[in-house]
Amino acid sequence: MKEIEKLYDRIIQRVNINLRELEFDVNPLVDKLVPTQQMTKFYAFYGITPHHPLNLVFKHANLSGSYFLGKVRVTSSLLYKSDIRGDELKKNGDLFQYQEFNIPVDQDEEITIDDSFLIKTLVHNFSHDPETLETFFIRDTVSTHYANIHGSPSDGCYLGPFSTVDLTTMRDCVIGAYSYVQAGEISHLKIEPGTVWVRKPGDFNFMYRYPTGQLNTYIYFPGGSPPQGVFMDFVEDRKEAFQRVFNVVNIENSIPVPPNTSLDRFAVIKPKTKIGENVLVAQRAFLQNSVLGRGANAQENCYIINSKLEGNNVTAHGAKIIEADMGKNVFVGFNSFLRGRPNARLTIGQDSIIMPHTIIDTRNPLSIPSGHLVWGLILEAKDLETNSMSLKAFSKIDTRVCRGSMLFEGSGGSFVSSFQERIHHILEANGAFYDGNLNRGHAQRNQNISFNTIQPYPKGDKEGLYPTIIIQP
Amino acid sequence: MKNYCVKDLMVPISEYATVYEHATLYESVLALEKSQEQFQQSRYAHRAILVLDKNKKVIGRLSQMDFLRALEPRDDNLDQIRKFKQFGFSRKAVALQQEEYLKNSPPILDVYSKAAKLKVTDLMQRPTEGEYVDEKTSIDMALHQLTTGSNLSLLVSRGADIVGVLRLADVFAAVFHAMKDSESKPIDGATR
Repeated sequence: MKEIEKLYDRIIQRVNINLRELEFDVNPLVDKLVPTQQMTKFYAFYGITPHHPLNLVFKHANLSGSYFLGKVRVTSSLLYKSDIRGDELKKNGDLFQYQEFNIPVDQDEEITIDDSFLIKTLVHNFSHDPETLETFFIRDTVSTHYANIHGSPSDGCYLGPFSTVDLTTMRDCVIGAYSYVQAGEISHLKIEPGTVWVRKPGDFNFMYRYPTGQLNTYIYFPGGSPPQGVFMDFVEDRKEAFQRVFNVVNIENSIPVPPNTSLDRFAVIKPKTKIGENVLVAQRAFLQNSVLGRGANAQENCYIINSKLEGNNVTAHGAKIIEADMGKNVFVGFNSFLRGRPNARLTIGQDSIIMPHTIIDTRNPLSIPSGHLVWGLILEAKDLETNSMSLKAFSKIDTRVCRGSMLFEGSGGSFVSSFQERIHHILEANGAFYDGNLNRGHAQRNQNISFNTIQPYPKGDKEGLYPTIIIQP
Repeated sequence: MKNYCVKDLMVPISEYATVYEHATLYESVLALEKSQEQFQQSRYAHRAILVLDKNKKVIGRLSQMDFLRALEPRDDNLDQIRKFKQFGFSRKAVALQQEEYLKNSPPILDVYSKAAKLKVTDLMQRPTEGEYVDEKTSIDMALHQLTTGSNLSLLVSRGADIVGVLRLADVFAAVFHAMKDSESKPIDGATR
């Protein structure tokens, strides 16, 4: 047996031990999901900039097609086409605020990935766990296609395809396909597929569950074969476009890029796309025949097609916008899928918040008014009755409200202001408010990144494994 | 109370409602009704049914709550909603979501007829270690066991056999009478 296969077995066993209480076996789900020869085929790469720390350590790992930035340590792990983006990690001397505590950060924070198997997963942001300020750990964890581990240390967990865990420390948990969890801290929980759960204990609690039958149309992962459904078909149909940007060493911008804007060389830009100032387009983003106004952003695994974004739009990791017109300051959460049609465009009014993991898939023109909160599955206009509410009305909730499959309890005002504050922070971090002097963010700092590539052993017992590599300034 | 032991207060198993493991929910409820009719009118009526295997060994207990739960509509979505409490929602919130779900669901026909045919073994609770008490145990000890486990009754054992049921209601009555006796006695020559 080759080293890489032994490593796979070791990871699966460790994850299963952690999940034994939930009687969950990850092996049938991920066995042969990524054939070993695929894991040998692709180079890994890392970015160098003057603005981010450079401290990468890789040991006993496969890193095929994965990207690294910042301070990252990977040990005894398999990372397949994953993005480990350490450009928001805490720095030595920062003060981390948690409840009434101001906790000093003693050293630069590091993302450490041990005994884990991450498939096409995004790791970003920083650890929000006050107990592990300097380490954003991911250990004994398996995550599958297009999962997002966002500011969420993980120990002994499984993440299904297109799932997101956001600002939450998780231990021994199963996160079902297309579930979104933002709950601070969770342990020994099995989250069913299509659950959207946002909780701040003592303040608010939001829960939406997708109807299983309808969710299966979009994402279905019974195990034994790759995930299926509209999401996978959509991504696979555009896969070839990415092959060119990964195969070519020096690639020129195909469109004019304003000086304060960052267009990643690993993004795909199709004709007739225009991007304004202070725009951030991250690696693995896909833009086609679209306009991104000043301060808009398209994060990893975003697809924006035949659409117009007026400006200061957040399109969070994995979100897809097709045949749509978005007003200013519209926020589209993680892995949302918003699809109009050529003769049935989707229009979203300014300042609206599209909750993470929302599906709007309309065959008739559909318009969402300004200042609305939208969640769940919307296939036609009448679904908005149960799946949206004006931010003003939502802010007035002070006990509990149930609309269709959505249950909310607590302070609606607190919920809305938390979202609005976070959206403002994201725009700020991305450089949307840069004035040529102040408020520099990713759009300005991520320009002119140099990329280096690294390769695994091509043959022999260690085929697919990378030698121990330490990359420092 | 120190002079009492469990066998003084227990209901002998011969007076208790029992059914065999192959019984349906309906047959179990009929057995409970019959047992209540036969039981002494002065004592609290039975509120549970013991389920026996073919060797007459107690393998489970069906409470009124188990019976009512069996009548609740069931599907995967409802089961998920009932688990919302583990996500930090209050009981009121869970009930609200359940009501909303049922409002939008097709009516469930023949709910009683369907429930009546359910097997008692699918609905009963199997007793756990802390739900057994020896017949010679003092009532003080048994009282502690009841309150610690929040049990409504304990199965009384004699060796390997179950010989009766010690019910919370009977223990409460005995303790209450003991307290009344104690309080009505003169203390230090004073009268009340």
